[in-house]
Amino acid sequence: MSDKTRTQINQISSKKPFLVKIVSVLIFLGMTGLTIGVTFFDLFIKNEELLSFLSSPETTDVLVKFILSGLLVILSILVSQGLWNYKNWARTVVIISIIIYEMVVFVNVLFALSAEIFAGEEALKLGVILLVLGKYLWVIVLRSVIPLLILWGLFKMEQYFEETPKQKEFVDQTVRYLLLAVGLSAIFIVFLIIIFTLSESWDAIEEIGINNMLFGTIWRPQQNEYGLIPMVLGSILVTIGSAIIGVPLSVFAAILLAEIAPPLFRNIVRPAIELLAGIPSVIYGLFGMVVLAPIIRQIEIPRNTGYGLLNASIILAVMIIPTITNIAEDAIRAVPKYYKEGSLALGTTHWETIVKVILPAARSGIIAAVILGIGRALGETMAVIMIIGNSIAIPSPITDNPLSIIFSGARTLTGNVAVEINYAAGAHRSALFFTGILLFLMIFLTNSIARFLMKEKVNS
Amino acid sequence: MNHIGTNSEAKIGSLTKPQTQINSRSNIGQRKVKEKIAFSFIWLAGFIAIAALVWIIGYVMVQGFKVIDLEFITTRPQGGMDGEGGISTTIVTTIYLVVLTIAIAAPLGIGAAIYLVEYAREVEKKSKLLRYIIEVARSGVEILAGVPSIIFGLFGFALFVSFMKLKFSLLSAGLSGACLILPVIIRTSEEALLAVPVSFREASLGLGATKWQTNVNVVLPAAMPGIITGIVLSVGRIIAETAIFWVTLGGSYRLPTSLLSSGRTMALHVYMLASETRAFDKAMGTAAILIIVIILLNLFINYLSKRLTLKATGKGSQR
Repeated sequence: MSDKTRTQINQISSKKPFLVKIVSVLIFLGMTGLTIGVTFFDLFIKNEELLSFLSSPETTDVLVKFILSGLLVILSILVSQGLWNYKNWARTVVIISIIIYEMVVFVNVLFALSAEIFAGEEALKLGVILLVLGKYLWVIVLRSVIPLLILWGLFKMEQYFEETPKQKEFVDQTVRYLLLAVGLSAIFIVFLIIIFTLSESWDAIEEIGINNMLFGTIWRPQQNEYGLIPMVLGSILVTIGSAIIGVPLSVFAAILLAEIAPPLFRNIVRPAIELLAGIPSVIYGLFGMVVLAPIIRQIEIPRNTGYGLLNASIILAVMIIPTITNIAEDAIRAVPKYYKEGSLALGTTHWETIVKVILPAARSGIIAAVILGIGRALGETMAVIMIIGNSIAIPSPITDNPLSIIFSGARTLTGNVAVEINYAAGAHRSALFFTGILLFLMIFLTNSIARFLMKEKVNS
Repeated sequence: MNHIGTNSEAKIGSLTKPQTQINSRSNIGQRKVKEKIAFSFIWLAGFIAIAALVWIIGYVMVQGFKVIDLEFITTRPQGGMDGEGGISTTIVTTIYLVVLTIAIAAPLGIGAAIYLVEYAREVEKKSKLLRYIIEVARSGVEILAGVPSIIFGLFGFALFVSFMKLKFSLLSAGLSGACLILPVIIRTSEEALLAVPVSFREASLGLGATKWQTNVNVVLPAAMPGIITGIVLSVGRIIAETAIFWVTLGGSYRLPTSLLSSGRTMALHVYMLASETRAFDKAMGTAAILIIVIILLNLFINYLSKRLTLKATGKGSQR
C-alpha cells in the first residue's frame, strides 16, 4: 500500500465526529446537575421519577443521600469520559440508560392515560378521548426528543467507537454464563413448582392421609371429609363423554380435510380450525350456559337442570375438536404419497386405501392427537365449572334409567381446585394442593404417552 | 419331491381352467357403493364438527355485537347483579398483563433458547455433568408445556400470592403467566434459531466477530420472525387464559394503579359476569371482542409465518 493511500485511510478513520464529544459533555453536565438538584435542592421531583428516590422521605439520612448522589456523579463522570474517548462500553451504557428511561416514561404515561380515559363512571365523547390521547402523546414527545436524538446519533456513529479485544472477550464470557443461568431457568421453574406444590400439600398428606383422599367418597371440608372419588369420577366421566362425542367427529373431520375434501374447501376450513383452537374456553362455557342448558332442559326428566355431565361432555367435545383435528390431519398428510399411489394402482377404491393403507400408517400420529385432546379435556377448568353443576356428590343416575346419569351434576378435579382455593384454609387448602399433584401426574402420564407415540412415528 | 411336483401341477392346472366366473371382477361396483356411503358419512361427520364450532362462535359474536358500542368499551364495570357498566378496566388490565408477562418471559425464554442452541453444544463436549443438566432442562421445558393452567395458578397462588406476600396483583399474575408461556417461547425460539443456516454464523465468525456479536447482529435478526411468532402465540394464550388469573389476579373490577393492584382480564370478566350476575348479554359482548382479538392475532401469525417461509426457502409456502 502506498503512503498516499495509507494517510488517506488514516484520515478517514480518524474523522471522529465532534458531536459525540458534545454529547459526552452534555451527559456529564446533565447528570451531575440533575443529581445535585434533586438531592439538595428538591428540584425536578415531579418530572424525574427515575431519580426521585434520592429525595424521598426514606432516604432522608444525609449520609446515604451523599453516598448515592456521589456515586451517580462519579458514574456520570466515568461515562462521559469514556464517551469523550470514543470507548464502546460508554456508548453501550448510554444506549441502555436511554432505553430504560424511555420505557419508564412510556409506562408512566400509559398508567396516567388509562386512568384518565378508562376509570371514569361515564363514557367520554370521542373528541375528548382524542384530546387526551393528543395531550399524552405531546408529553411523550416533549420528554423524549433529546434522549431519542442522542440514541439515534449513537446508533449511526457506531463505527467510530473502539474496544479492545480483551473487552470483547470479557463480554463474550459474561454473556455465556448469563445465558447458562437463564437457560436453566426452565428446569428451575419446574423444580420450584414441584417443591411448592408438594410442600403445600404435605399438611394434607400428614393429617388426612393419602388413602382417605384417594379413596374417600365424601368431600365435605367442613366435616373434615376429604374424599376425592366424586371429583375423580366427575373428571373421568366427563372426559370419556367428551371423547365419545369428540374423537370420532375430529378424526373423521381430519380424514375429510386431508384426503377427501377439495383444496378450496380445505384452504378455508383448515385456517378456521387452527383459529378456533385458540378461542378462550370461557366462551364455550358461556354458550353452554346460555344456549345448550335450556335445550337440554327441554328433555322431560325430573330434576333435569340442563347442567351436568351431558352439557359438559358436549361442550368439551367441541373444545377438543380443533386440537385433535389439527394434529390428526397433519399426521394423515405426513403419510408418504407413494403409499396411497401404490394402493390405488393396485385397484382399490379411495375409501379402501384410506382405511387399509393411510390410516394404519398414520395410526400413531392420530392416537397421539387423540391423547393430547383428552389431556386438554382433563385439564379444562373454567368452562367446565360453568356448565357441569358443581355438585359434590358422586355422579349417579337421577331416575331409574341408568343412562340418565348423563343428566347428573358433578364436579371435576380441576373445578374443585378453582372453586374452593380462594377461601380454603389449613388442611382444606392443603388437600386442594394434593389434588393439584394428582392432576399433574394424570396429565403428565397422558402427555408422555402421546409424546412417546409421536417420537415412534418419526423414527419409523 | 413328489409332493412338490403334485402341488405345482395342481396350480398350473387351475390356471388353465377356463374362466367361467365373471363376477369376481365386478365387485368394484359394490366397493364403489361402499365408498360413496363412507364418504357421505365422513362429510356428514366433518360437517357436524365444523358446524358446531361455527354455530358457537357465530352465536356469541352476533349476540355480542348487539351490546358493543363506544360506551361499553370506555366505561368501567360497576359490579352489581345486573353487571352495569362497560368493560374498560378489563381491557386495560388485559393489556397491562400481556405486556408484563411478555416482558418477563420473552428475555428469559429467548435467552434460554439462545443458550440451548448456540452454546450448549460446546459445553456438552466438555463436561458430562453439564450435559446431564442441560438434558434435564430440556425435559423440564417439555414437562412444563403439558401442565394444565390451573396447576400454574395453584403454583402462583402458593409462591407469589402467599409466600412472597404479593397478594392478588398484576405482579403475581404476570409472574405466573410468564411461567405458563415460557415453554412456548423457548420451543418456538429454539426452532427459529435452528432454522438459521449455519453458513450465516460461519461467515460472521470468519469476519472476526465474537460469538456474542454474531448472535446479536446476525443470528437473532434472521430468527426474528419465528421468535415473534412464538411471542404472538403466547399473547393469544394469555388473552384466552382464565383459570390461572382467577387464582392470582383476584377479581377486582377497578383500574389497576400499580403493579400490586388487583384487576380483571376480559376472559375473567366473561366468567365472572356469567357466574355472578345475570348480565349474559354483556358477557357475550366481552366474548365477541375477545374473539375478534384472537382472529386478528391469528391473521398476524399467518402473515408472519408466510414471511418466514419466504425468507427461509426462497419460495412461497407449500401449503
